[in-house]
Amino acid sequence: MSATVQPILDVRDLAVRFALPRPRLFAPRPHLEAVRGVSFALAPGRTLGLVGESGSGKTTTAMAAIRLTRAAGGRVLFDGTDLLTLPPEAMRRARRHLQIVFQDPYSSLNPRERVGAIVREPLDLMAVGAASRERDERVRELFRLVGLRDDQMALFPHQFSGGQRQRVSIARALATHPRLVVCDEPVSALDVAIQAQILNLLRRLQDELGLSYLFISHDLGVVQFLCDDIAVMYLGRIVEHAGRAALFRTPRHPYTAALLAAAPSLARRKSAGYRRDAVVRGDPPSPVAIPPGCAFAARCPRAAAPCRDTAPELRPVGDSQVACHFPL
Amino acid sequence: MSAVSPDGATPLLQVEDLHVAFDTRQGAVTALDGVSFSLAAGETLGIVGESGCGKSITALALMGLIPAPPGRLTGGRIDFAGRDIARLAESELRRLRGRDIAMIFQEPMTSLNPVFPVGAQIAEAILLHREIDRQAARREAVALLRTVGIPDAERRATAYPHELSGGMRQRVMIAMAISCRPKVLIADEPTTALDVTVQAQIFELMRRIQDEFGVALMLITHDMGAIAEMADRVAVMYAGRIVEQGLADDVLDRPLHPYTRGLIDCIPVLGKAAPDGRPPALSEIPGVVPPLHLIGDGCAFADRCSLAEPRCRRERPPLTGRRHGVACHVTAAQAT
Repeated sequence: MSATVQPILDVRDLAVRFALPRPRLFAPRPHLEAVRGVSFALAPGRTLGLVGESGSGKTTTAMAAIRLTRAAGGRVLFDGTDLLTLPPEAMRRARRHLQIVFQDPYSSLNPRERVGAIVREPLDLMAVGAASRERDERVRELFRLVGLRDDQMALFPHQFSGGQRQRVSIARALATHPRLVVCDEPVSALDVAIQAQILNLLRRLQDELGLSYLFISHDLGVVQFLCDDIAVMYLGRIVEHAGRAALFRTPRHPYTAALLAAAPSLARRKSAGYRRDAVVRGDPPSPVAIPPGCAFAARCPRAAAPCRDTAPELRPVGDSQVACHFPL
Repeated sequence: MSAVSPDGATPLLQVEDLHVAFDTRQGAVTALDGVSFSLAAGETLGIVGESGCGKSITALALMGLIPAPPGRLTGGRIDFAGRDIARLAESELRRLRGRDIAMIFQEPMTSLNPVFPVGAQIAEAILLHREIDRQAARREAVALLRTVGIPDAERRATAYPHELSGGMRQRVMIAMAISCRPKVLIADEPTTALDVTVQAQIFELMRRIQDEFGVALMLITHDMGAIAEMADRVAVMYAGRIVEQGLADDVLDRPLHPYTRGLIDCIPVLGKAAPDGRPPALSEIPGVVPPLHLIGDGCAFADRCSLAEPRCRRERPPLTGRRHGVACHVTAAQAT
């Protein structure tokens, strides 16, 4: 990333914690540390992928970055302004620049509203476009932009397939001319053939509109296709942060390497005697009781004594930033 | 008969011309339209396709679990161990289910009973099918949990499903499925709900179980990577029919049906493109799977197909070929 361009989103030392029920009356309230000291920057017009398994904190990080989840600490500079300290009305005005596409196009669209009205709603809320006619015209434009027809505006969400619903979600997200779009697993609920259509659409929209994406996914194939930079998360921390070429060619963190090794591939053939030597055993530890040291140590094939005592900090190794005592 | 029997071996399970219909508001629709395949002991048949193509209905039909009404078997045979199990009475089916043919579902949380410890649930499955006392069944449940790689099996047997992770729950489901030494194991998207590193472990476990018990595995998936890694043979389904079948290598390396080709090409595969700069745009299959009630007389894929000819819209292509078969007018000549 070039240092001369001011990032559109600059997240510094972000922390999110969730309160858990007290185990006993008067016992101290335990906390779940969902996001721990996460920092990253996203340059305008680019895509940063947040990758990790369930519970790694990737969605929570993104939601805290656009202030839909309360952060316990840190700063989120959007165009140089800290979103976390903005007064409510200023935050509301900032929201037109920050939009989201959710994973499940079935539950994120109001089933009782016509899709034309769904796409128009942000325009009304944010008072974008003066006259009603201007907003109608914008909705028609958005429908064409995402590959839907004007005459489909009067239909309800259930009359669309999953892929078309996701197009409606994208149109809604783009209504207010946002600059940053958070895409939270936008294709994981879709069939592969439809995935390709939506991924191509997201890329075309980025090129045409100069959007910046914060792209959350567990699918490394999808991430390689769409993301310029990738941050791999494990139990609330970024364990590796690198550009596309560096991350996929030379993964430095053993967890990144394990994710790449576990990703499905047509080249691993049963007929050729392929067997997995699953180097990573077991499940991620519970975020309620994070072990001291490196959170990945218990599952890591390279773990040694220091890994269990001291949590490694992100540091440069080759072209990547890696939090590991013994990087690959 | 177009169903393959590899090496001429007598198949364990032979499905012939299976038809399933569902009553809907649009009238009766054909969910399975002449599905035929066979499965031999120790082999893995992958069934691949998008949602709504009929892969899960095929599995449910084998288990005699088609919800009726609205569904019903309208034709065909399922030959297993010398008899047609499509015609069995419910009481006989119940003896077969779990003992001879067992199934693993996608979501282990909803297929386990939340109010009983997992060990007791496995023991119950054993008690249902075998002459064995409760104590012995409990001991066997713990042994099974050990077999599927659950650490500290003795203690975990007393855990409730919600106390286990997704991967652990799927291991419990597998332990339950193999508890009566079934001859056929049907796995319906067994790893879709799991994280990739856990997926890898479950695949490894399923391969080991197959080696140890010689079970015939029917793996239902939408994931071509899973097919490559797990399957000996593969059947590709589209809109209730098998449109291509053959050895996994043949189908993956030389797909004959335009739909299969499209499915393989549209996956954003790791390392497919040089990771420098942006990988090229993905190839797409245009449009969506048609609703079952709107499928006419022609090929159900014709409207999405770049090779479609006028006759594709008029007549439905039959599945041709024995070794590597395809149901396509345009590419039929290449079938072997």
